Amino acid sequence: MKVSFFETARYCAPQALPSEWPVPSGAYDRDAGARAYGSMIERLEYVEELGFDWVSVSEHHYSPRILTPAPIVSASYIAARLRKIKIALLGPIVPQSNPVRVAEELAMLDTLAQGRLVVGLLRGTTNEYLTYDLNPAEARERTDEGMELILRAWTEPQPFGWQGRHFQYRTVSIWPRPQQQPHPPTYALGTSRESCEFAARNHLGCGVSYGSFEAVGKATRYYREQCARHGWQPAPEQIIYRANMLLAETDEDAQALLREQPNQRPFSMRPGVSDALMKLDSRNIAGEARAPIVSGALPTTFIGSPDTVVEQVRRCRDVVGAGVLDLSLHPPGSGDLEPLMRALELFGKKVLPRIRDI
Amino acid sequence: MREERIPMPSAPGAAFSERYVEADGFRIRYMEAGQGAPLVHLHGAGGLRLTPGHDLLSRRFRVVAFEMPGFGQSPENNGTRSMPELASTMAQAIKNLGLDTFNLMGTSFGGKTALWLALQAPERVLALVLEAPAAIRQEGAESPSGSPEEIVRRLYAHPERLGAIPMPDPAIRAKTQPLVQRLRGPDRDADLESRLPSLGAPTLVLFGTLDSVIAPAMGRVYKDLMPGCHLVFVYDAGHGISTDRPEAFAEVVVDFLERHEAFVISRTETVIHP
Repeated sequence: MKVSFFETARYCAPQALPSEWPVPSGAYDRDAGARAYGSMIERLEYVEELGFDWVSVSEHHYSPRILTPAPIVSASYIAARLRKIKIALLGPIVPQSNPVRVAEELAMLDTLAQGRLVVGLLRGTTNEYLTYDLNPAEARERTDEGMELILRAWTEPQPFGWQGRHFQYRTVSIWPRPQQQPHPPTYALGTSRESCEFAARNHLGCGVSYGSFEAVGKATRYYREQCARHGWQPAPEQIIYRANMLLAETDEDAQALLREQPNQRPFSMRPGVSDALMKLDSRNIAGEARAPIVSGALPTTFIGSPDTVVEQVRRCRDVVGAGVLDLSLHPPGSGDLEPLMRALELFGKKVLPRIRDI
Repeated sequence: MREERIPMPSAPGAAFSERYVEADGFRIRYMEAGQGAPLVHLHGAGGLRLTPGHDLLSRRFRVVAFEMPGFGQSPENNGTRSMPELASTMAQAIKNLGLDTFNLMGTSFGGKTALWLALQAPERVLALVLEAPAAIRQEGAESPSGSPEEIVRRLYAHPERLGAIPMPDPAIRAKTQPLVQRLRGPDRDADLESRLPSLGAPTLVLFGTLDSVIAPAMGRVYKDLMPGCHLVFVYDAGHGISTDRPEAFAEVVVDFLERHEAFVISRTETVIHP
């Protein structure tokens, strides 16, 4: 099993902030922001030293919860400061990006990072449709088309035009090309039938997140079936499972940590907006409709003492088939970093060495 | 530019008139519609099949879509020995229509005919459009075969958009197969490829991203060999681009024929409110 640390640039707010998304920009504290990015490198040096394989970053907007609206910037910064660890950019929100620009930036980053880049491409969480005025009804189609264009831009040796449904370019010919050939390890992120099929058709990995082993296992099973249909078999490393983990010395301590978690939706919005968005945003797991998460915190699927968590990881491998765990060891948005550092140490010393062979 | 969403006639090609012209002893059927600069079309190995793409092109051009000798309802063609010979017959047919200069579009098999025609009469061809051309093929490329349904699945990413177009007729197929086999040439035709660098006509090569007959990666070979070549991928289209995505197909073809290589300059307007 490989492990990835999900880096969210911990912003420790000096005063309480409104929980509603978007969080007013005027409430931002510059010093807290500077500290968040500064401590990120210190933390990641420790993560690297503990033996994590990857550090991952993601794209979220208009909130201190995950302070990386431009993940290409955070990924570049991390790549410049750390030497060994792979940088997993999971990922640019494709439907609201210029796919050619994404292809260029990722190729450049892969080269700057000397071939340490891992890429995840995705549709994005529901709230993000408001960030740049993206019509939710077009999000799925724009994602599929954008991903295909990114792959084409990376691999096509001659200048070409793209006559798409949502994107149109007459001249594409990127420099540099990716350091890794034909392109960095790339994953389609999401549990949907469309995402799994896209990954299978294009020989990409598949990344799922947060759901129970059984729920995301449906998606990864469907992904593997589709890969077989296209005549290939994904390696375990081609399935990423992003999850929350609450690790403590004992099961009781871990359960106590869970009780302390705020039962809050990650990006909560006004009900009128939220309800209208949900109606437009159809999501599924391997073709079975699922509701977007509308209330409560994201589930924590790894919880307990090191012994318990090792067993859970074993089960995750069996049920989900994941070969990479992308972990949040402490809820993003929490201002208290001490428990995160304790959990990191505990994970690095008592869990990581025991799950390598799983 | 946004694709125009114009309702299309229920049967593709309904506005086209059927006519005949003589050339090299063949009586050649063609379908014609529209006004403006002439755009001559040479079809693929399946024969002439008018698509919504033809309808859209006929709004800007005088479209002349030929049924080449031996295809469709025409008598079996045992006379034409080679692709250059077929190209020469078609050049004659076009001349007999009074067209000295014209835009030329070839689809798949007809893309190779069009290339030979342009090589034989470069002064007559204003610009060349190759839709999923079969002149340069990946090693071991196989033509679609099997039942009419299987052939349709192989040709189109969106067979549901075929509408009322009849399925490929096995009897006609049996008649044209020997001709196609005789004329299609090797996957890599060294004679043809050695001549392509001399072809100066502005050329647009189109491949559907889902083409399962000719690998879209073949597009780069044309681009490599021909100085005036532009390569455009049509997203979510199979081998039959003008059926799968007629609006996208027609928009880029019209733009290219009107502006040639300057078609790379965007005219998209992004003002939302004045």
